[in-house]
Amino acid sequence: MKIKLEQVTKNYGNVQGISNISLDVDKGITGILGPNGAGKSTTMKMILGLSRPSRGIVTVDGKDPFYDWQLKKNFGFVPEYDCFYENMSGLEFVMYFLRMHDFGKEEAEKIAREALSELGLDEAMERKINTYSRGMRQKTKVARATVFDPEVLVMDEPFQGADPTTRMLLMNKMTEWAKKGKTILISSHILHDVQSLTDNIALINNGKMLAHGNRHEIRNLINVPRPISIVPVKNGNLRKLAKRLLDEKWTKATAINEETNELTVETTQTEDIYLEIPKILQKEKITVKKIYSEDDSLDSLYAKLVEGRQWK
Amino acid sequence: MEIMGKISEIPEIIQTFAKRSKNVFPPIVKNCVYQLLVNKITWVLVALLLLPCILGMIIYYQTDDQRQFQESNGEKIYVDSEGRPTHEDNRETFLDISDAFVISFVAIIMAIIFSSELINEEFENKTMQLLRTTPIHPFEILLYRYVSGVICMFGILGLNAILFYYTTMMPSGTHGIIENLDVLLMVLQVLFFESLAFIAIFCVFTAYLEKPYLVGILYWIIWESFVSGQNYQKLTITHYLNSILFDSTKAMGWDVAASDYNLINSKEEIIATEPLTAMIVILTVAVVALIIGSRGLANRQF
Repeated sequence: MKIKLEQVTKNYGNVQGISNISLDVDKGITGILGPNGAGKSTTMKMILGLSRPSRGIVTVDGKDPFYDWQLKKNFGFVPEYDCFYENMSGLEFVMYFLRMHDFGKEEAEKIAREALSELGLDEAMERKINTYSRGMRQKTKVARATVFDPEVLVMDEPFQGADPTTRMLLMNKMTEWAKKGKTILISSHILHDVQSLTDNIALINNGKMLAHGNRHEIRNLINVPRPISIVPVKNGNLRKLAKRLLDEKWTKATAINEETNELTVETTQTEDIYLEIPKILQKEKITVKKIYSEDDSLDSLYAKLVEGRQWK
Repeated sequence: MEIMGKISEIPEIIQTFAKRSKNVFPPIVKNCVYQLLVNKITWVLVALLLLPCILGMIIYYQTDDQRQFQESNGEKIYVDSEGRPTHEDNRETFLDISDAFVISFVAIIMAIIFSSELINEEFENKTMQLLRTTPIHPFEILLYRYVSGVICMFGILGLNAILFYYTTMMPSGTHGIIENLDVLLMVLQVLFFESLAFIAIFCVFTAYLEKPYLVGILYWIIWESFVSGQNYQKLTITHYLNSILFDSTKAMGWDVAASDYNLINSKEEIIATEPLTAMIVILTVAVVALIIGSRGLANRQF
């Protein structure tokens, strides 16, 4: 299912929630990143039909999610906040929403048990939700949102409060669902989590879209030299390789670190750099273990885009 | 054309609602009834409702020894010092207190609280956001909550009316209790229609407003209490409830006047409505209120 936002603005009275955001989300995982209050949740609410844009158009599969209530049979939503019927057990809670999707009682119980079990809630599923830990609550929210196999999964800060095991479990699940062709939209301010799930990102800050697309491509849009590290380079080869790389027009500067046997090249070149360097290394008969750019990480990308403003 | 298109979709939508109601209706009603019954305010209202019953019991046990009776066809008919059957006074006491205390006061407070609990609490707990991401129509969300509210309100008020009737009529013995069951049925009928109307009206307020309590109370005081005694009283639910009461008491052969139920205008003309018409009006108001309320829910943003 395709999600499309066209020049969407949302105002809350005089306060602007998001401004002129355009975004296309297709199958697979897309990460919406931005600091708290950036407009991630507002964007998600409009996709889910919980909020209506003040200006612009939001469509899911070509339909308006705010008015088309039947479209919502395709939506799974994991909210950032807690929203439970605390008097229910996890099983009852998941079953309750399955019944809203027109599942019969027995079928609902069967698949709710399976979903909760899969997320490691075998023993706790019949306990009241008000006795659950944060991790258990998070798993219950995920089970509720995914149990009916939705085509679109919107997850607002899904890793919040999750312990490392739960985090890993959820990540594996998301990758699995994405492979099944689901459209998954995930918001987070934990960059590392999103980075390990997808390269397809949308960066939002102050209600504005800073960038959208593949994170490597976004990085290339920023016209600032980025450092690429080559390690380890034998001491004798360090200067030789640095000199050789300076002959290339895409090299802005090189730096060597004899203690760590590391050579750093500063470049504004696009992704091809990762193909060019190995060719040179092969020609010069230099063996290395790793060519990488720490600067390519979402943290540095975001830092550059928002000029050092912090995430939280 | 657009409106015609929407109207033509109505039978299909109703069919969809009916088809899946077997799956959607029971869990919503079960959850809503549970929420209402575990609410502390519900039990405060129950305690308030029980006060007249307790008072009746105390009076009964204090005066039990002084009661006089006459025997007729083997039945004990309790009479007062002047030889009149006591059940005639007792049934009036039952009706007057039911009208002034339960129908005109506690029932309305209960409707305000229940409708708020059923809808506003869902907004506050944010569970409404989850519901609005499921494929159920806002009308279904409101309708099933409304039904739960009516079940609880009528259940509590009805049980209380039966208990209160019993405690009030106890001094009149079995004969008095059986003889005046039509008064109890009349009160139950009014309570039923009152539940139908007021839960629906207050559901509209809660569907549109974040803090519906104040508006609900203002509506009760200004509209249902003040306007209901004036020339435009046909715009109030109280008028139709009073019309049912007036007509039923007249049908039971009681000596009542329209003015006893404020069913007169400034020219002292009787403006009571036929009970069947009154019931149809109440039902129509409830349906219209639910439709308006579902529009409110559908347009409410998060």
